[in-house]
Amino acid sequence: MSTQRDIGSIVRENLPRYQAPQSLRDFVRANAPSDDDRSVTPIARRRPTKAARQFLYAAGILIAFLGGWVINNSIRSRQQASAARETMVAELVDNHVRSLIGDHLTDVRSTDQHTVKPWFAGKIDFAPRVVDLAAQGFPLLGGRVDYLRGHTAATLVYGRRRHFLNLFIWPSGESDMKAQSEKFKGYSLLHWISDGQSYWLVSDAAGTELEAFRQAYDVNR
Amino acid sequence: MPHLDAAYALARYLINDPSEVEDVLQDAVLRGVQYFNTLEHDNNARAWFLTIVRRECYTVWSRRDEKMDSVSLDTMPELEDVAISPEQAAERSLLRERIVHAVGHLPGHLREVIVLRELQQLSYEEIAVITESPIGTVMSRISRARTRLADSLRDLVDVDVGEMS
Repeated sequence: MSTQRDIGSIVRENLPRYQAPQSLRDFVRANAPSDDDRSVTPIARRRPTKAARQFLYAAGILIAFLGGWVINNSIRSRQQASAARETMVAELVDNHVRSLIGDHLTDVRSTDQHTVKPWFAGKIDFAPRVVDLAAQGFPLLGGRVDYLRGHTAATLVYGRRRHFLNLFIWPSGESDMKAQSEKFKGYSLLHWISDGQSYWLVSDAAGTELEAFRQAYDVNR
Repeated sequence: MPHLDAAYALARYLINDPSEVEDVLQDAVLRGVQYFNTLEHDNNARAWFLTIVRRECYTVWSRRDEKMDSVSLDTMPELEDVAISPEQAAERSLLRERIVHAVGHLPGHLREVIVLRELQQLSYEEIAVITESPIGTVMSRISRARTRLADSLRDLVDVDVGEMS
């Protein structure tokens, strides 16, 4: 080999070209977002953009000037509802963070659902569904009672590798609602209503892990 | 996900251990899923995904508490080529062994730019995004890496370090 050769082509011809193994491809197929996978889409994304919100607001005022206060009022109440939800999310995340500081995570510390469930009796006036999901990778660590924005909540604490998940439960008069995910200060939240109970799941684990938890929790009823 | 192979190759060249690489890629995919939903990253999905993978690789190294100064890479299986003489074949496999060893012993910040530039053939702009470095730094790193590799082969072949385009 006496002719001068380009180092780039030597590298290209001789270095191994690694390819992703099949196991990884399967993992991606199972976890990558698809268009119909609405459950992991954060609420924030579905809200109108800032410009659109400003436009809606301006339009609301204009229509109010022209004749009706009705529309303006509906926008305001929607904003109030959205503000209330944001406050709720902030409070849940605060509670989650507080629970991890010091020794406040659980009031009853047990991995046995038959110890945790009776512990709630007499402390709250509803019976939360307590299931151990250790087999699904979410071991039950214990429970505690929280007071959140007028709700007495039964809080179940689960582990996920090195993460903790707080599942806040309280009775809700509303009809069933599919899970909606939120992000706040780097924490993931998942909210759903099922069988007259309102559920809020909060963790620093990935949003997909929360969804996996919800499915495991729902299946093991 | 069309960029999975590129991401996998980058991670293999950075941390080598196949099972750890798979962990890194799984984390990056999960993280990617999260960001897919929160950020607009449609224009340059490859660069963005590789950026996540690269960061995860560096996290692995910081956990290992070592510098990314060398990895031992596998050599590619030799392809049967009837058109070359046994001497040529021996020369070629020696060259292969040397270049693979040399790339494996480049420091991480030089190895990654060589992999991205020469193997994946990405643009300097894209490499700058992925490595989170200014484009001038990327160009000088590529040039330094090429010179080092060429030096390590100097006794075997007459190597052209190549012009920066």
